[in-house]
Amino acid sequence: MTQSAETTQNKPNNGDLGAQYVADVRQRFPAAVIDEERQTRDQLTITVKLEYLPEVVEYLYYKKGGWLPVLFGNDERTIHGNYAIYYALSMEEGEKCWIVVRALVDPARPEFPSVTVKVPAAVWGEREIRDMFGLTPAGIPDARRLVLPDDWPEDLYPLRKDSMDYRQRPAPTTNSETYSFVNDLGDSHNRIIPIGPMHVTSDEPGHFRLFVDGENIVDADYRMFYVHRGMEKTAEVRMGYHEITFLAERVCGICGYAHSIAYANTIENALDIKVPPRAQWIRTLLLESERLHSHLLNLGLVCHFSGFDSGFQQFFRVREKSMTIAEMLTGSRKTYGLNLIGGIRRDILETARKNTIALLNEMEAEVITLIDMLVNTTNFEQRTKGVGILDRKVARDYSPVGPMVRGSGFKRDVRLDHPYAAYASVPVTAFSFDSGDIAARVMVRVKEFFDSTAQCRYILDNMPTGPVLTEDFAYKPYKYALGHTEAPRGEDVHWSMTGNNQKVFRWRCRAATYANWPVLRYALQGNTVSDAALIIGSLDPCYSCTDRVTLVDVKKRKVTTVPYKDFERYGIERKRSPLAK
Amino acid sequence: MTMNSFKYIPGESHYVPEQAGVDAAVAKFKTALLHRLKRSAYVYRIDCGGCNGCEIEIFASITAIFDAERFGIKVVPSPRHADILLFTGAVTRSMRMPALRAFHGAPDPKICVSYGACGCGGGIFHDMYSVWGGSDKIVPIDLYIPGCPPTPQATIYGLAVALGLLEQKLKGKNHVEEEGEGAELIHPQTPLDVRVRIERQARLLAGYKQGREISDRFVNLLETHKLTSLKRHVQEWLEEENDPRLKEIVGQLEKTLHATLKGGSRSA
Repeated sequence: MTQSAETTQNKPNNGDLGAQYVADVRQRFPAAVIDEERQTRDQLTITVKLEYLPEVVEYLYYKKGGWLPVLFGNDERTIHGNYAIYYALSMEEGEKCWIVVRALVDPARPEFPSVTVKVPAAVWGEREIRDMFGLTPAGIPDARRLVLPDDWPEDLYPLRKDSMDYRQRPAPTTNSETYSFVNDLGDSHNRIIPIGPMHVTSDEPGHFRLFVDGENIVDADYRMFYVHRGMEKTAEVRMGYHEITFLAERVCGICGYAHSIAYANTIENALDIKVPPRAQWIRTLLLESERLHSHLLNLGLVCHFSGFDSGFQQFFRVREKSMTIAEMLTGSRKTYGLNLIGGIRRDILETARKNTIALLNEMEAEVITLIDMLVNTTNFEQRTKGVGILDRKVARDYSPVGPMVRGSGFKRDVRLDHPYAAYASVPVTAFSFDSGDIAARVMVRVKEFFDSTAQCRYILDNMPTGPVLTEDFAYKPYKYALGHTEAPRGEDVHWSMTGNNQKVFRWRCRAATYANWPVLRYALQGNTVSDAALIIGSLDPCYSCTDRVTLVDVKKRKVTTVPYKDFERYGIERKRSPLAK
Repeated sequence: MTMNSFKYIPGESHYVPEQAGVDAAVAKFKTALLHRLKRSAYVYRIDCGGCNGCEIEIFASITAIFDAERFGIKVVPSPRHADILLFTGAVTRSMRMPALRAFHGAPDPKICVSYGACGCGGGIFHDMYSVWGGSDKIVPIDLYIPGCPPTPQATIYGLAVALGLLEQKLKGKNHVEEEGEGAELIHPQTPLDVRVRIERQARLLAGYKQGREISDRFVNLLETHKLTSLKRHVQEWLEEENDPRLKEIVGQLEKTLHATLKGGSRSA
């Protein structure tokens, strides 16, 4: 496992970025670009002809070092009569900036050429555009429903402005799950292990199907979005700008603050609001304190899954110190309710500052001991080295984020690539490892934990003076921009367009794990059933995976149900396989 | 297994689920369970579309620091072992059937708890197209643990209430406004625009909480002392606190005060 690190340097750059990419696109596709518009110093949106969309995105992605964190639709018929689709590319080789490729779709012909064929990373986004707007990605290899529940009627598209009242609850079309799971690499002789959607130790529901041959996972597929709550619709129909910062926190109960900042940044970028430096530093501090508790949580769970339960309890015990920090600085264990457009709602005074530093030091000392115990446990090494490998090439194709991509040798981190909040002034290090296995992802989190504590101390010692909030701005309609944060699980990328009624016209929120799910399949392939829980856990989305496991023997047409306990026990002990019965 | 039916609300193309019923015999046993459960209580957690905030706080409640297992409260991996079902989330469309399967899978009598703001009535998502608006829309709920998310302390308290270890404390007070009673003005001796400017400035500098605290203290000093000796008293306060940030904020407030007084004399 080779490790490398890259540290922020303050690169003074006052010029606008990204013009060269657009010039290159114009040269390569002379007839493609219709329009170009700059949002911020490092954000450019180009409108291209629909038929050129896949080629332009592919060109920027593979030829110009772009990654595709987010794509989305927008119902702009009330503005100019068409739908618009946006593909936001993060340019990370050479000049670092955002190029958003936009194309218009005629409502009379609601389809667009699928980009997924050329850039696999577009797959989930395009399926979501189909679900929510009814625009068909022509030629997409995977045309299954993604976001909407199985019992949702066809032809009712929630994010079309005129399709339905946001409160409308149509009668369920079915009482059973109709999603078809894909097993590309195996055949009908494989046994199927469905996992979920409810599971014991964990948070969000998801349904996994492992296709197995004996102990080996041949292929895997999953159905997510059991928690689709209609957040983007909620924001555009019944929230004001400030309220969405609080709504965004409810995207995820673990890294909610990162979402709140990402959203606030979209509006601040779109309207060019100058957030006071002290507010930016406090935001940065809270983002890092969120990383502390999130990484400790995942380290605890890694212990749990590798059969080291006392480690699990110890990490959770130490994690409470980071919760105390959050409570002290924000008034809530969840860093909720602190952001506004233009700044924050609380300052940090001397007592809180001193107490935070004391707690950080205590926590760091304890974690050093715990990590030492963890990495020297032989079981830990056996369970994580060489297991759940995410191949570098797969990672490049699908644009995964956070420790997942950094564990596979890419040093992607928006704190360094596109500094926001106070990251241009605070020393940040991005860590990456080449081995692509669970051990690499764990070690990325370990390194980041210590880096975060160092950042927190640096911030507390060097905080600038001045106000924490500005009210010196006015909302203008139809302005849009991206916002992004490096959440503990990877980058959250948001996009908002302001409306003309003191509400957002459209808010697009892409959480980190959304980008990581599509690659999980490849990390599972070729591993054994006993490692599945650990591999899924190493993504840090949901910890364990099953409430029960149903084994379907296709040959004998026999169904056996094994309690979750057995499955988890097998994951920990790796003896007496429930499959052997 | 009976699954819930749906009721159509005419005129709104809108459906609401009907709650899964509990028959009379089960209800009787349930009361007994609530009051006479003398052994450990097993809890099964059903996430009906929560954001993980609740789930993580449940986690915090059962691990080392808060350790709900002290009270015999144990999270179990299957609904078939459970006495208590804990429903989190606003009940998304996709989670309705899995949640009902778990509900019917747990043996009667069982206690159903609605956990968190979204569980208790759907929270911020209460009327959205993709949720049913809280766990009591699909199953009968015996106890609500509100909060976004509930703290581990609230969780343990709620479960203790569910087990009859504690009686739920409900305090109600009906205030009748008397003749001539009104809301008290704060700092009545300070001119309104002076107070407002100072407080607004303090809030921009230190946020709604500390900003209000600092401006209140500052205006109190202003009211109890003469303008000429204000500086000395402010100085004493700052020396006592020894906080560079507070010094900066109060310094700004003094400037705002003087600017306002000058401006005030001009308008008068």
